[in-house]
Amino acid sequence: MLEKILLLLSLSLSVAEGLCKPGVGEAYKVRFSIKTALGDQAYPWNKNEMFLFRAALAFAMRDFTNGEEFGVSDIHPCNETQRVSFWFVVTRPKTMDLVDKGTVEMAIKKSRNRINGAFLLTDKTLEFDGIYPTLAAPVSPDTPPWLIVFGVVMGAVSVGIIALLVYPLVQRKLKKNMDADDEDSDEETGVKTAENGANDGIYNSTFSDDERFTQM
Amino acid sequence: MEKDGRPNWDSPMQFVLACVSYAVGLGNVWRFPYLCQLHGGGGFLIPYLIMLLLEGLPLFYMELAIGQKMRLGSIGAWTSISPYLGGLGLASVVTSVYLCLYYNVINAWSFWYLFHSFQSVLPWAVCPINSNRTGPTEECEVATPTQYFFYRETLNISSSIEENGGIHTGQALCLVLAWAITYLFIVRGVKSTGKVVYFTATFPYLVLFIYLIRGVTLHGAINGLKYMFTPKMAELANPRAWINAATQIFFSLGLGFGSLIAFASYNQHNNNFQNQAIVVSLINSGTSIFASIVTFAIYGFKATLNYENCLDRMRLLLLNTFDLAEDAISMDSVLEWTEKLNTTYPEQFAQIADKVREGECNLEKELDTAVEGTGLAFIVYSEAIKNMPLPQLWSVLYFFMLLLLGMGSMLGNVTAIITPLRDFKIMSRMSNELFSGLVCVFCLLLGLGFTTTSGNYWFTIFNDYAATFSLLFIVLIEVIAVSYIYGIKRFEKDIEDMLGHRPNWYWKIMWAVTSPLLLIGLFIFYIINYIQGGTPTYQAWNKELVSSPKDQSPSAIQQESVLLLQY
Repeated sequence: MLEKILLLLSLSLSVAEGLCKPGVGEAYKVRFSIKTALGDQAYPWNKNEMFLFRAALAFAMRDFTNGEEFGVSDIHPCNETQRVSFWFVVTRPKTMDLVDKGTVEMAIKKSRNRINGAFLLTDKTLEFDGIYPTLAAPVSPDTPPWLIVFGVVMGAVSVGIIALLVYPLVQRKLKKNMDADDEDSDEETGVKTAENGANDGIYNSTFSDDERFTQM
Repeated sequence: MEKDGRPNWDSPMQFVLACVSYAVGLGNVWRFPYLCQLHGGGGFLIPYLIMLLLEGLPLFYMELAIGQKMRLGSIGAWTSISPYLGGLGLASVVTSVYLCLYYNVINAWSFWYLFHSFQSVLPWAVCPINSNRTGPTEECEVATPTQYFFYRETLNISSSIEENGGIHTGQALCLVLAWAITYLFIVRGVKSTGKVVYFTATFPYLVLFIYLIRGVTLHGAINGLKYMFTPKMAELANPRAWINAATQIFFSLGLGFGSLIAFASYNQHNNNFQNQAIVVSLINSGTSIFASIVTFAIYGFKATLNYENCLDRMRLLLLNTFDLAEDAISMDSVLEWTEKLNTTYPEQFAQIADKVREGECNLEKELDTAVEGTGLAFIVYSEAIKNMPLPQLWSVLYFFMLLLLGMGSMLGNVTAIITPLRDFKIMSRMSNELFSGLVCVFCLLLGLGFTTTSGNYWFTIFNDYAATFSLLFIVLIEVIAVSYIYGIKRFEKDIEDMLGHRPNWYWKIMWAVTSPLLLIGLFIFYIINYIQGGTPTYQAWNKELVSSPKDQSPSAIQQESVLLLQY
């Protein structure tokens, strides 16, 4: 009995290894750039990290297929290199049927952020060959910011122009009012002088204020 | 005691600053460094300084003397010298009108960039994403983000000069703002201009100084500086170097437009313009040299950055193809690894051989990309700025400086139009403000043509043809008129009248002999160049190829350029 189980296990393992062939069929290549992303705080790549990857991918498959019980054993990696890149295939749970590329792609696309987060990496440093990241939608504010700055500057300039144009007019008006007041008060005294003079004798125009007015 | 009530500068300092503000313009920043690089770095200073002594200084002095003596704008001044020379003044005014039309468009672009600097990510730093959200827009991917921002978002350029699209509203708004500010500065004549130039003449130097410190401390700046200052003396044997030096001095000082005559006409009769002429010319040349140090530091930074990015791309390509560990290849060892891998795995290497050849990294090549004009100011500099730490600050500072330089020159250009026209009795019945306003509105409306989608091509035509040829002719006639028609003797006496002493032999020889000969030489050279050049061509932006092949100008354009030249 034990031997039969052992035989079956070794058979399945060898079959699984046969399933994962780089560049052929439903295999995907994945590439990690841990040192580029984390520099000094880079963690070394080992079997545990590989286990995490398989678990993350199994989660992605479960999430996409809504409940199919994918497990760590359904993700088969092969051809691991020093670069930290390897190929993998996904099989359906409890069978050896390969999951097609399209489904795997969509599953990965859906949970890309979660997979990235598990490894503290980004779309650029955790690459799946052939699966392009969906970029974040651009944020477009209601009013473009440049228009706001433009409005401020334009407003200031307009105020400046109006001020420069209106200021001398205002000054002239004020001056006119002041002069008009002076003329009024002089007129009264002038008339009085003329009246006094006319009663006494010859009207001496020297003391009248008419000259002041004409010179203006 | 002013009989005619002509306004005056508040102090001689205002006049000097106005001249500095006018002469020190965008050309100092974007044309001189290019010429320096083209003609052997430090060695170019020799022809440049010689030309300054032979033509720049004497002609500058002459224009100031005429303006201060005649106390009229260019039309009135030349008519006083000889009634037949009124056309000379008119030619100056027309050239100034052409210049005003297109020059303020540059200020509009500076405003556009300045306003767009107030964002967390500079818009020319990243490409916009395409509609599928899979990557950057196609056009932007083939070009660089800075080029894309300039040609697509700022200009919305069409593919040829014949395709006229609509007006770019953002550009039009910025142009309106530029003219509004110009009006604000000149509305009160020299009273307002005189106050403004305190700022427009001095602030750019502050920014240049800040940029100098920032520039030389950038990584890789030393490469650019070394490149600039290693003189290649062999270039001095090339006559083009001397011709370019002569034309650069000539255009940089702004001779022939009538602005200097206009500014000087507001001087006191006894103002010592001799010293002022020397000071302003020296400041102008000094600023050119100063600006090229800054520019080359920035060039060096940008070239080194591009080179290192190129090396990094190569490194990644090798790592990914041969699946080596990440830290196996460092930036320094890329080249030796390329060799090693080529010999050890020839078949695998052959697959990527094309990519390696295309992406070959060469620092010299990066430094060799000499750029001038709007390409330098708006593309190369923006690219360097986006890579600096705290790019928004540097961007704001830089475009503000460009604005001040441009606005300072605009003051001179508009004054060159208004002053001679106001000397006519008909115009002086209108109030100052109204007349200036009309001139500004007129130039604004015509300038809107440059904000259309094909506007940049018209701009290039105006830039290349409107002012170059005609100015040489104008100044040549000017110097011949003063030396031979008016007479050196009379001119000497006038100067003695104003300054208290006669100009010494150096000035007289320059006016009578050297400068006219030099100008005739330049003039002949330009004519030969124009004839030999065949059908004029222009560089158009091809949306698909994202390159600028030279297209034939259609015949209407050729006629237009001849028309501009004829003035």
